[in-house]
Amino acid sequence: MNEQALKELLYKMADDQLILGHRNSEWTGFGPLLEEDIAFSSMAQDKVGQSQALYTILHELGEGEPDTVAFMRNADQFHNCQLVELPNGEYDFSLIRHFLFDTAEAIRFEMLSNSSYAPLAQLAKKIKGELRYHTMHANIWIKQLGAATEESIGKLQQSLETALPYALGIFEPSPYEQELISEGIFEGEVALQDVWLKKVEEVIGQTKLTMPDVASLTPAFGGRVGKHSSHLQPLLDEMSEVFKIDPGADW
Amino acid sequence: MASLGCHFLLPLMMKSLDPRVTRLNIPEGELVPKVPLDQFGTFEVFVQIKEGKGYRHEGIVHAPNIDMAFLFAKEQFSRRMMCSGIFVAETRNVYVTAFTEDKDNVYSHIVDNIPEDGEEETYEFFHLNKRGKQHSHIGSVPAKSHQHALTLAKSEFINGDPVYNVWVIKTSDILFTNEEDKIMWDTLPDKKFRDASDYRASDKIKEFKERQQ
Amino acid sequence: MYGGGNTFEGIKSTGLETEDPVKLAEFEARIERGEKIEPHDWMPQLYRKQLIRMIEQHAHSEIIGALPEGTWITRAPGFKRKLALMAKVQDEVGHAQLLYGAAETLGKPREQMLDDLISGKSKYSNIFNYPAFTWADSCFISWLVDAGAIVNQLANARGSYGPYCRALERICAEESFHLKYGHHCVIHLATGSQVQRDMMQAAFNRWWPPMMHFFGPSDKASVHSEILMRWKVKMSSNDDQRNQFLDMYVPKIWELGFTLPDPNLRKNTETDKWEYTEPDWEEFKRVINGDGPCNAERLAVRRTAEERGRWVRKALLAPKTEYVAPLA
Repeated sequence: MNEQALKELLYKMADDQLILGHRNSEWTGFGPLLEEDIAFSSMAQDKVGQSQALYTILHELGEGEPDTVAFMRNADQFHNCQLVELPNGEYDFSLIRHFLFDTAEAIRFEMLSNSSYAPLAQLAKKIKGELRYHTMHANIWIKQLGAATEESIGKLQQSLETALPYALGIFEPSPYEQELISEGIFEGEVALQDVWLKKVEEVIGQTKLTMPDVASLTPAFGGRVGKHSSHLQPLLDEMSEVFKIDPGADW
Repeated sequence: MASLGCHFLLPLMMKSLDPRVTRLNIPEGELVPKVPLDQFGTFEVFVQIKEGKGYRHEGIVHAPNIDMAFLFAKEQFSRRMMCSGIFVAETRNVYVTAFTEDKDNVYSHIVDNIPEDGEEETYEFFHLNKRGKQHSHIGSVPAKSHQHALTLAKSEFINGDPVYNVWVIKTSDILFTNEEDKIMWDTLPDKKFRDASDYRASDKIKEFKERQQ
Repeated sequence: MYGGGNTFEGIKSTGLETEDPVKLAEFEARIERGEKIEPHDWMPQLYRKQLIRMIEQHAHSEIIGALPEGTWITRAPGFKRKLALMAKVQDEVGHAQLLYGAAETLGKPREQMLDDLISGKSKYSNIFNYPAFTWADSCFISWLVDAGAIVNQLANARGSYGPYCRALERICAEESFHLKYGHHCVIHLATGSQVQRDMMQAAFNRWWPPMMHFFGPSDKASVHSEILMRWKVKMSSNDDQRNQFLDMYVPKIWELGFTLPDPNLRKNTETDKWEYTEPDWEEFKRVINGDGPCNAERLAVRRTAEERGRWVRKALLAPKTEYVAPLA
């Protein structure tokens, strides 16, 4: 098995989950209604938990301890797509991002449940239920707000247009696409994006939102190779502020 | 002891200690009451902790519709330990009998028979068997109205343990968990970080005390 | 999280002379027998009013209590702490939801309670008007403020109002995680590096006075408080709760080698009661009345959250549903 290829895949997935889980946790206590505050927080916890599970697999492959890997790297060492590092903005942006990202994530793990790499296939099967809830949550919200008031439709439409080029960055091709596919580890970003686009269009089609022409957009690539927006490093500095007081300490 | 508030004095207009609050960009100015809004509807939430066990009333959520009520109920009432299913029903659709007490079975106050026309549908029954406890799901009855369902259930429950209050909900007014969605609760037992048992540290205290000696 | 304090002030007359004496006697006999009062039962106006006030303040304390610890939610060190703190702050919001639901069974809609919180009309636990300067402050809150809340909540869970007791049972079960988590954090700082220990000691120095305020001033003997005790609305005196807290937790603080900033703090072995320097109740009053270090920020955050969420709620409001009070 091509370990380089595998690690690249694991890192980008883990980094995506960690950074988005972190971002989404910023809403805890500030949500638009009490019950949603609770629901959104649970999904943020799921994401951070999933990233921990992925870093643990990496650790078993010889990488550093999950805490060290998550809390001690700089932005240029992170492989997350830029979509997840963007600030939360208003709830419309956070929801659209949640919808676009989690739709992709659910399909990715669905594909990985058949992965030739057993630890990944096991993890994919285990968290299937969590992802089921995440996509159910995202779809219901987008359908509701995407067909409610002029204000909510307008806000969602604008956020959709802002987020889409970044969402395409999820599928930035890896240098190891062919290895991953031929070794049966993962079906590849192209296949993932195809299924994702159909799902997204299906949900958007049930709202009053207009799906932009994806082919005409320039994807925000770079995240997978450590090129990030100016938002990631401050996020990491904040996240590791206490940890770095004494990285060797037991907190 | 001197006034201890001084330990906490913050310079005026200092940015918040919470970076999230700083990012909220709270507008300057007077505190104004928020614009009153109509409250969302109320939904009753019933939880089954494990396959084979009955559904029990756990509380309410406010939501704009039943699909969102389910989303909200799932995290508010089943984010810990175990759950195998949830259902929600709008409070307006719950038919509530009178309350009784002192071994007085509420079914003895239900009329024996009422003539009913119309379509038969099923109705779900929830019993209160002890004052101060929650309503539990008992089963369902095909009937032509809530009241009709009660008269039909009477013969079955009149001689049993006293029932102090009954909720009757038309089955079609309840949102049940789909079979294929039940996997949503699969990883609950793994979420140890929400469990007190994951935070034992008595050995650390013991070691610390030994070091002090 | 909640403490005693301001809950029962401000009632001039009991109004009992206007209540139906037969119904009042039945109501009191029921409580005397140890039964719970349920939403459909008859109850005196004073009972309803005081319970709404108490449960509402408790709910506000949960939602505001999410803020001081939330200060550290994005900075918790390591996965274990990060996940736990997210879950804990989430629980506080969840507790608010449960408690608002219990108060609603008495006839006050949640929106109205939230309005009263934001306008400053209703109070919440005073301790959340203090800032969490460091990670250790958040550990203090998780362990000891929650411990204080549990003392209060376990007492209230034996009270007379059914929906409140059921909400509290659920809350106390969840708080056991908070308490263990908080203690776990403090133990790790206590047994860690000098920097970690110093950070924790500083948090003890800062938070001890508000913690002593937490249970409120000594209860004044009055007809009013006597009635609330008889009706099992108030379950034990502020001083008793404070004493119980000190008894359970001061030894646990001392065993970790920390000091508390009160030279007079000791247990009197003859009376079996704790002695301490009288807390500064002038400061307590000043902070409760709005002049604490964080009052303005706490309310501004809630107000901003409500304002920023308004378009969401407006969009979701559909004529398909209609507000009614919960059943139980």
